[in-house]
Amino acid sequence: MGQFIQYMINGVISGSVLALIALGIVAVFKATKVVNFAHGHLILFGAYFYFTFSVVLSEAAFMPDWIRSWDPAWLQAYAGDAAMFSPKAAIASWVSDLPRILLGLIGALAANAVLALIIERLVMRPLLGQSAFAMILSTVGLIWVLEGSAGLIWTAEAEQVPALGPNFPIRFELFDQNLFLFSGSLVNLVVALLLFASLMLVLRYTRSGVAIRATAEDQSTAYAMGINVPRVFSTAWLVASTTGAVAGAILASRNGLSPAIGLFGLSVLAVVLMGGLDSFAGVLIASMLVGILSSMAQWKLGGGVAEIVPYVAVLVVILIRPHGFMGQEEIERI
Amino acid sequence: MLSVTQASLAFGGIKALDDVSFTAASGEITAIIGPNGAGKTSLFNIISGFYKPQQGRILFDEQDITHLRADKRAELGIARTFQNIALFRGMSVLENIKLGGHTRLSTGFWSAGFFYGEARREEARLRAEIERDVIDFLELDHIRKAPVAALPYGLQKRVELGRALAMQPKVLLLDEPVAGMNREETEDMARFILDIQARWGTTILLVEHDMGMVMDISNQVVVLNFGRQIALGTPDQVQANPAVIEAYLGTSATTEATATEEPA
Amino acid sequence: MITGHFKTDYSADEGIWSNWPKRWGLVAALIGLAIFPFMASNYALLLAGQIGIFIVAVTGLNVLIGYTGLMSLGHGAFFAVGAYTTVAIHHEWPLTFPLITLVISTVVAAAFGVLFGLPSLRVKGLYLAVATLSANFIILFLIEQDWLAEWTGGVRGTETPNAVFFGIELVSQQAKYFFIMPVMVLMLLFAQNLFRTRFGRALIAIRDKDYSAEILGIALFSYKLKSFAISAAYCGAAGSLWAYFFPAILPEDFGLNMSITLVVCLVAGGMGRTLGPIFGTILILLVPEMLKVVAAAITGGDATSQTWVSPTRDILFGLMIIGFLIFEPMGLVNIWDRFWRFMSRWPFAK
Ligand SMILES: Nc1ncnc2c1ncn2[C@@H]1O[C@H](COP(=O)(O)OP(=O)(O)OP(=O)(O)O)[C@@H](O)[C@H]1O
Ligand SMILES: [Mg+2]
Repeated sequence: MGQFIQYMINGVISGSVLALIALGIVAVFKATKVVNFAHGHLILFGAYFYFTFSVVLSEAAFMPDWIRSWDPAWLQAYAGDAAMFSPKAAIASWVSDLPRILLGLIGALAANAVLALIIERLVMRPLLGQSAFAMILSTVGLIWVLEGSAGLIWTAEAEQVPALGPNFPIRFELFDQNLFLFSGSLVNLVVALLLFASLMLVLRYTRSGVAIRATAEDQSTAYAMGINVPRVFSTAWLVASTTGAVAGAILASRNGLSPAIGLFGLSVLAVVLMGGLDSFAGVLIASMLVGILSSMAQWKLGGGVAEIVPYVAVLVVILIRPHGFMGQEEIERI
Repeated sequence: MLSVTQASLAFGGIKALDDVSFTAASGEITAIIGPNGAGKTSLFNIISGFYKPQQGRILFDEQDITHLRADKRAELGIARTFQNIALFRGMSVLENIKLGGHTRLSTGFWSAGFFYGEARREEARLRAEIERDVIDFLELDHIRKAPVAALPYGLQKRVELGRALAMQPKVLLLDEPVAGMNREETEDMARFILDIQARWGTTILLVEHDMGMVMDISNQVVVLNFGRQIALGTPDQVQANPAVIEAYLGTSATTEATATEEPA
Repeated sequence: MITGHFKTDYSADEGIWSNWPKRWGLVAALIGLAIFPFMASNYALLLAGQIGIFIVAVTGLNVLIGYTGLMSLGHGAFFAVGAYTTVAIHHEWPLTFPLITLVISTVVAAAFGVLFGLPSLRVKGLYLAVATLSANFIILFLIEQDWLAEWTGGVRGTETPNAVFFGIELVSQQAKYFFIMPVMVLMLLFAQNLFRTRFGRALIAIRDKDYSAEILGIALFSYKLKSFAISAAYCGAAGSLWAYFFPAILPEDFGLNMSITLVVCLVAGGMGRTLGPIFGTILILLVPEMLKVVAAAITGGDATSQTWVSPTRDILFGLMIIGFLIFEPMGLVNIWDRFWRFMSRWPFAK
């Protein structure tokens, strides 16, 4: 029982990261009707950018010392002689990392945004109006372009990057069971869910949100109504790339920096289809489900099985409900 | 030949068909008319097997086909054309029409792959048949090799008719065969339809908004309005039916409207 | 040169080798294929064998994507099934006649094709792309499992057998070439024939307008599954040849990268055309070689070990997919057609 709850919690935490990744795929699909197979690699770039700004750049010679490691007197006083692995020590070390974490995040967001705009402008825009097949394939082509470029630019592998939040073990009791998790994971969970929720609010209540939804409903009508459709496209790609950058930072700090992040992102596509391509709610449910299932599989069957859980799950779901939990079926009038 | 009994079909709240019953007699032309959205295409869809009616039955040659798959119905001899042209756009006219022969051929995977032998003879036979019964008949000789996507609308409709004809069907469903055509093209099409009826004795169901054509060529007319069947009879009977006039012209017009009035 | 040709009966009009450039082109290509191994280096033969095998697989993919209009990003899996079936057969019965192994591997792959084609009955396009991609991951996962390791070698891969025909073991590149090429030519001709008859036309009809196909009496579900089976069978045959061709195989050889490479070859060559897979495969498999030559020229030495070669190749592949989709969606075959149209009118018109 204790184990079970423990793995449930782990599952929810990884589910929230899946949801954050899925968010980008859904946003782009809603606006542009393109399913971005390369979203995982956009995330990979986010992770590498985060590494570049928070590690490489912060250690560059021209950077002031306090960026590399902020060490004001009050922090020293606070840390005092805190024991290793104690919350206090973890928080103190996080605070001293904070400048470079922020530099990393801001840099990754900005760089990824630029990257997404370039992709949108140079690749997706010329293919506008082409078949779904061409769109899918061009994003598949992007996978290789991005992966290859990452391979050329960054040779770093399994590098350490600073986590977004302070990381210390938390022990607690639930239903009489001793459980435990890392505060870092908790921060990731909160960040992911907050981003997810706030983007849904933005979509619902802001002008550009309405524009995106209108475009999703019917592109040409939206155009006729004076909505700047190309701008909607760019906005969607911006949303995807920036949330992707955060996801990349989380993944890199959790599992280490490696090209495998791209493939992990690809597996989220399966999650998205399970939930229903155009439904944020469905995708959230699917993310949690896959997160939990993977975590359970890890517990009972080992890590290898956990990796293919999304793929098995999506096959099952597609056979039973072809358009996912909450996806809209496109009816073809004859 | 073909009869629909008490068929109903609903999409969510919309009743596309509501208790429709009629019989299309063998070798005759039955027209189905009604304002836009009346359920005419839906009726064709339940006959050809795209949708299953929630209630009612469809009999073909005394066989209950209500639950048969669309392709099985085609094998039995039900052919149709579509309101919005549904040709195979990547193919030539000839290839489109050849596909109509699908159910009558037997080449399977292996003989297709080895080709020389039975498959080749069958192809030659099909080609000769099509040339005679479809291409010559519908006067498509000059465009047989043309890609269909490049043809004008009227010709595309004719190719679609040809494709259905290549099935040598017993029942032919034509969904608005002359929509969007000029007078001359309409007359050609009407002539083709009558020729088909005369030459092969095909039972024809025809959805059409062109009242002139409907009244001229059909033996029986079914009138639908909001999914309900409001009249059934010969063209003359239907034209005189007040319910029909009302459906077409609105309530106020009932008295002034004469049976000869024809919406273009 | 005017290549106008007039037919006097319908069966001649149905022919596909009807004009002399086509007929002589075929003869010339066959002769070229036959004498190539006597003039080529071992390395060129290695490439040629690889290209031949890929052409078979891409032709299979063409049946599914190009002719039936169903997407797949998982055909590497069927390649794997073919290759591993061949290895497993030789593991159990080392002396099996290679053609029998080839046929069995093909049939087993076809069976897997049917299984993983099942989603195609309910979903199209993108959904199918993800379903097949999932199938790829799952099949490779199974191959890597310990309980199959006796036959598959698990994650570490396995050595593969050589084909033995009547006591002659095909060891040299040249000998293997003469095994691969006839199989390739026959399978190409088979595919070519398929699409001039009822069976192939039905698949094309499904691609162009599925509901129209249905009312013409084409049973969508059975034809879609057959299409999956055929395309998987071709990949299975390719996999079997692959196992005979290379000394060892690894599960990861058949992963997403291979699946996408197959699609890239198809897109570059031209979908729904017999020549497409041939042109596309030759182009795509030669790109890394050209890159090596360029790299050698730049660095002035052997560049195969340079770390930048492999990522650059990936980038080039990716750019080629995108480039073809944007600028030449019909692939190289279209350029080829344009060339011949031009030639057939020259010098009277442009
Ligand atoms: N697939 C579907 N899903 C939902 N509603 C449908 C569907 N097909 C038809 N309908 C609805 O059923 C009703 C009947 O449509 P149908 O196409 O049969 O009309 P029709 O008589 O053919 O009209 P028209 O003359 O415009 O072709 C309409 O209200 C239509 O919106
Ligand atoms: Mg209609």
